[in-house]
Amino acid sequence: MPRQDSADRAEHSATSGRRVSRRGYLAAAGAAGLAAVAGCTGSPGGGTTINIITWNDFAQEPVVNSVEDELGVTVEVEPSTSSTEMFQRMNQGGEFDIAVPNNNLVPRFLDAGIIEPVDMDVVTNYGDIYGKFRSFVDQQFTRDGNAYGVPVRWGWYGYAYNTDELPEHTPSYRVMFEEDYVDADLSGEIIMYDEAAKTMPVAALYLAASENDPSYREALTENDRMTFSEQQLNAMRDLLIEQKPRLEGYISSDTTFIQQFQEGNFLVGHSGRNEIIRLRENQGVENVEFVVPQEGAMAWYETAVVASESDNVETAFEVINEYIAPGTGAELARQGKSPSCNPNVADELDSREQELYGRIDPERFEQFIPFKDIASDVSDKYFSAWEEVKS
Amino acid sequence: MAAPDRDEPLRGALIRVLSRRRNSLGVTAGPAAVWILLLLVAPLAFMTAVSFASFENFQVVWEPTLEHYRDLFVGGTTEYSLGPVGFRATAFEEAVMLSYAVATAATVLCLVLAFPLAYVMARLDDRTFKLVIYLVLLPFFTMYLVRAYSWFLLFGQSGVLNELLGALGVGPVGALEYGVLPVVVGLTHAYFPYMLVTLYASLDGLDFTLLEAARDLGASRVDVVRDHVVPLTLPGIIGGSIFVFIPSVGAFVTPQILGVGKVQMIGVLIENRAIGEATNPTTASAASMVVVVSVVAALFLVFRYVSLDELGGV
Repeated sequence: MPRQDSADRAEHSATSGRRVSRRGYLAAAGAAGLAAVAGCTGSPGGGTTINIITWNDFAQEPVVNSVEDELGVTVEVEPSTSSTEMFQRMNQGGEFDIAVPNNNLVPRFLDAGIIEPVDMDVVTNYGDIYGKFRSFVDQQFTRDGNAYGVPVRWGWYGYAYNTDELPEHTPSYRVMFEEDYVDADLSGEIIMYDEAAKTMPVAALYLAASENDPSYREALTENDRMTFSEQQLNAMRDLLIEQKPRLEGYISSDTTFIQQFQEGNFLVGHSGRNEIIRLRENQGVENVEFVVPQEGAMAWYETAVVASESDNVETAFEVINEYIAPGTGAELARQGKSPSCNPNVADELDSREQELYGRIDPERFEQFIPFKDIASDVSDKYFSAWEEVKS
Repeated sequence: MAAPDRDEPLRGALIRVLSRRRNSLGVTAGPAAVWILLLLVAPLAFMTAVSFASFENFQVVWEPTLEHYRDLFVGGTTEYSLGPVGFRATAFEEAVMLSYAVATAATVLCLVLAFPLAYVMARLDDRTFKLVIYLVLLPFFTMYLVRAYSWFLLFGQSGVLNELLGALGVGPVGALEYGVLPVVVGLTHAYFPYMLVTLYASLDGLDFTLLEAARDLGASRVDVVRDHVVPLTLPGIIGGSIFVFIPSVGAFVTPQILGVGKVQMIGVLIENRAIGEATNPTTASAASMVVVVSVVAALFLVFRYVSLDELGGV
């Protein structure tokens, strides 16, 4: 008799006021807990689960959905802000199928013996990426004819300046190291990156030009690692120590760059191109100009690697293949304002997007030097020099 | 007639068990001992072991070496002189010296700012005291990162302070740019409550009639502070100083934010070696061990003059 039951419950409710029984409370709490857990885990894409540690752009919904819809897998992305962290986490073992560090860290993964050679039968889009990146892969992380990483997105570093305060000038790192290069007081108005890997090459390129000594550039370009001599490292260290009083500081993230530029904390900053696109497109900032210095520019490319310990190596390579496929590659390019290493991705972008992070004339690659890890025989000296700069 | 207590047998059994010294020690000190063993002693022992291990191919290899300790002190390039003695400091030594200097400055500033306030608070009536302590501690209910970023906006070449000084025609002032001064200010602000509360606990137990008697007998205010207040509250001063100095030496967030990467204190250097791009846990452990040993040595010296019982009160 449902009506009677209802009446009984109503009567019970009336006599007990608003009190909730312990059993009812536990049931409600349990249901809420389950709902919360379900909310945290999100809606899985189904199939095999691939765990990835990489940049936050890869964790964005359009990118994750694109991969899951295309492959019928579940993608779990743990965002990271550092290639070193990605290396350390994967080196600890067992947790991730894929990491997507910057190219300069991939040799560490390789030396530690924790990544699989690329299965070219699965990564069918590899042949479509720019030839320059395939040659970078050959130089930096190919062993016994096997490539160990797949370039995904790329970008380059130069410097950006406040066009309200700085006059037009021939783009050169001299603006960062020489007081009289431009007609503006830049004391305390310059920022550099808080990473040896980004800042030391700037010093090397400047010294190569200012001392007319090509050996600095050769140390950046000739091998799969940076091969500076101790004398060169000392010269780079001294240059950066001399520069330090002119700095506002060393910054550690793109977000900080964007925030500090908007707050007017500096006028010239070593920067990646994508930061400036974000400043212009997302923040509406007009008084910023990004330039590639005449001494040359360092370029990064994210490189996807698969863990040897992965139980799903083939599926992991399918996911990587998807990252450089036109559809998902376009979503990734949009998220990071950075072009894909596959020029065909540009076909999926609108004209404005193509202008900002679409195809690039392959001839332009000649002015870019890929970031590299430091050669192991001088790594202690290299990091000591950087610590002395920061002291 | 009282009803028989059903818990009596249980209570009796508990009393019998706890009356044995070993059991009572286990129940009272046991949880804390386990906590300290697992979260302090074990990690410290592990760190000590790692600091003597080798590091090859990005893996810790258990082959003992003193190389990491040697590298901390050998090969310095920055010249320093202490009177007639000159030496070349390594980046590590510079970081240690800077950390100790910054921590000392923050400790002294905390002491100078907190002591008068603690003195006044100790003499306030109960109601006013509660209001004052609430107002003083109110900002500390805000997350530290938020407070650090507030200081960040105040300092800097284009910060609020320099803009203000510029508007008054006396700025910008170079000392207000990001660097050591903002870090000292940030640390002083961060650890001020530790000093204040410790000093208050010490001053609250002070017999103020003694001070009045000294004044009646002709002592000047300075004499009273120097000869009575400071000696009687010395344990509180030392306790508060320890609570400010030790975390300041190892500060990481404040120098990163307010030093904008230009102030490399020891915490920053160790972080870069531990998980930064210079990844090498063995050298990071060696650097940490030197700091731990130096701080323990300093504490040992302090405890030669002040007993643990005295810290925090007279």
